[in-house]
Amino acid sequence: MIEIDDLTVQFGGVRGLSALTASLPEPVTGLVGPNGAGKTTLINVLSGFVRPTTGSVRVDGRDLKDVPIYKRAAFGIRRTFQNEQVVENLTAGENVAAVLDNVPTDGQPRRQLIETALEFAGLGTARDVPGHSLNAYQRRMLEIARATVGRPRLVMMDEPGAGLAQHEGEHLRSVIKQIDGYCGAQVLLVDHDVDLISATCTATLVLDFGSAIAYGPTQKVLADPKVRAAYLGVLEETT
Amino acid sequence: MADQSLEVASPIPTARLPLGVAALYAAALVGLYLLPAALSDYWLRTLISVSALTVASLSVSLLFAQLGMVSLAQFGLLGVGGWFALRISHGLGVPFELALLTGGVAAALVGLVIGLPALRMRGLYLAIITLMMAGAIQVLISAFGFPDGGSGILGKSTGTRVMMARPFLAQNDEAYLRYALVIAGLCYGLVLLHVRGRPGRAWAMIRRSEVCAFAGGVNIVAYKVWAFALAGFLAGIAGGLLAGGVGQLDASAFPASQSIMLFALTIVGGAYSWIGPIVAGLLLRAFPALLNDFRVDGNIATMVFGIGLLHALITAPHGVAGQLRDLVGTVRRLLGGKRKAGP
Ligand SMILES: Nc1ncnc2c1ncn2[C@@H]1O[C@H](COP(=O)(O)OP(=O)(O)OP(=O)(O)O)[C@@H](O)[C@H]1O
Ligand SMILES: [Mg+2]
Repeated sequence: MIEIDDLTVQFGGVRGLSALTASLPEPVTGLVGPNGAGKTTLINVLSGFVRPTTGSVRVDGRDLKDVPIYKRAAFGIRRTFQNEQVVENLTAGENVAAVLDNVPTDGQPRRQLIETALEFAGLGTARDVPGHSLNAYQRRMLEIARATVGRPRLVMMDEPGAGLAQHEGEHLRSVIKQIDGYCGAQVLLVDHDVDLISATCTATLVLDFGSAIAYGPTQKVLADPKVRAAYLGVLEETT
Repeated sequence: MADQSLEVASPIPTARLPLGVAALYAAALVGLYLLPAALSDYWLRTLISVSALTVASLSVSLLFAQLGMVSLAQFGLLGVGGWFALRISHGLGVPFELALLTGGVAAALVGLVIGLPALRMRGLYLAIITLMMAGAIQVLISAFGFPDGGSGILGKSTGTRVMMARPFLAQNDEAYLRYALVIAGLCYGLVLLHVRGRPGRAWAMIRRSEVCAFAGGVNIVAYKVWAFALAGFLAGIAGGLLAGGVGQLDASAFPASQSIMLFALTIVGGAYSWIGPIVAGLLLRAFPALLNDFRVDGNIATMVFGIGLLHALITAPHGVAGQLRDLVGTVRRLLGGKRKAGP
């Protein structure tokens, strides 16, 4: 459950987010909007990389300003990046271990947790492959493994589908759908691919110029004329 | 600095193990039993210094290879470690091991302070700040000198200088060289333990990017500070080893320029490999001694080092160690090819 209250983020003269208020209770929530709408900024506020200028965010009832940035992973806030951040000179298994080092294991054996996370992301056979030998798709999936190991409560994905081949996109889709059931974490999914959003997200929040212009069940929101004008119109123009 | 272009290089642990272990045992056997017995006094003392400086170079390479950070203060920290080791050894007459550890811990604390700017800076700025710290250490050491058996806080004697007590097990040079080699081995073990474990993974995440580390829950401040403290500890141990080897330390032997030299030769040796620091130690002490043996002017060494550094920066980013590895690879391929051609 994410509660955003009157959140504004100011970068010098630019507004990343503008008085955004929203409550996101659904297990898989989409976050869409045109380029520069503030999607990544919202994820950055939740991960602690960007400090809100005003307003607050709560996750599962906890005000995030009380959670220091390096403790957010342990609290359960995880993410993947728009520009993938796999550590090249660690193996896939070590990449996951590096996160597991800092989050609760609930007394389960580390090795097993790492293997389960890799298997969940479809990397069961790649445990000992160094990061620099993984292909683009495997890196994406490795980020998901890192984000789901050890009791996450919120997994945020920033454009995980960008640049994937068809069958890879389908696998990604099925993995995203399973995250909630697999580890109980809420998923916040940013993507420009409307098909991916409508196939995976029960509810969707639409941002434009840093504010919410629509929120509701995905199909309904995507059919909203206001959304089509702000977002889909832009999308049709650019593609 | 060159840290971006070197990022994909594997850190210390990925050296091929089975062969590495075998080589290690062979080296240990030769180093510990045969070599010390066969050497002249001059070369015994030289190799004692080489072991100490290998540990010093290990301290530089730890920071550089694990975090891409340049510290130009590590030789100054040798002086700090040496000072405290001498002080406690003369003042309290404690066993050598305790004096050595005290020197290590003292240098770790100073190293930690030197590392504080690293929380905000990197690259050239960090290098300059650490160099200034090395300058400060140089000023302090040349003003106060090293303890040599006197009384008072500074422990300066007015009469004859007293030698530092050596370890109970290693009174003569031959035994002390063995002792120093074992300590150097333990230092390698300590670094390996870190690199293979949780700190190594955290450092790798930080090197990838700070957002990557934060998202993975790494406490960046703590792990950077810890790296500097560990590097300081190693430098302090090196200083204590040096003090024990010579018996006393010379206040003019720890100028800031030596820290630059140590860093440069660590790069020449190869900061990303466990052989690199050994190469650096040999270059720093054995190479000038060798020139001396052949009655060549020792200053030639400095010129050779300069050329070596240029060579490393331009063509061999992994230093001599990287070239050795390539050579071994080539030889292996050749042998493998021959074997395949045979029956
Ligand atoms: N660190 C920053 N400094 C200054 N401006 C920023 C910063 N981060 C984002 N912005 C600005 O804030 C606005 C929102 O950016 P944001 O990256 O959140 O958009 P986005 O919705 O993720 O877009 P995209 O779909 O292109 O990824 C943009 O105008 C951007 O230029
Ligand atoms: Mg974005």
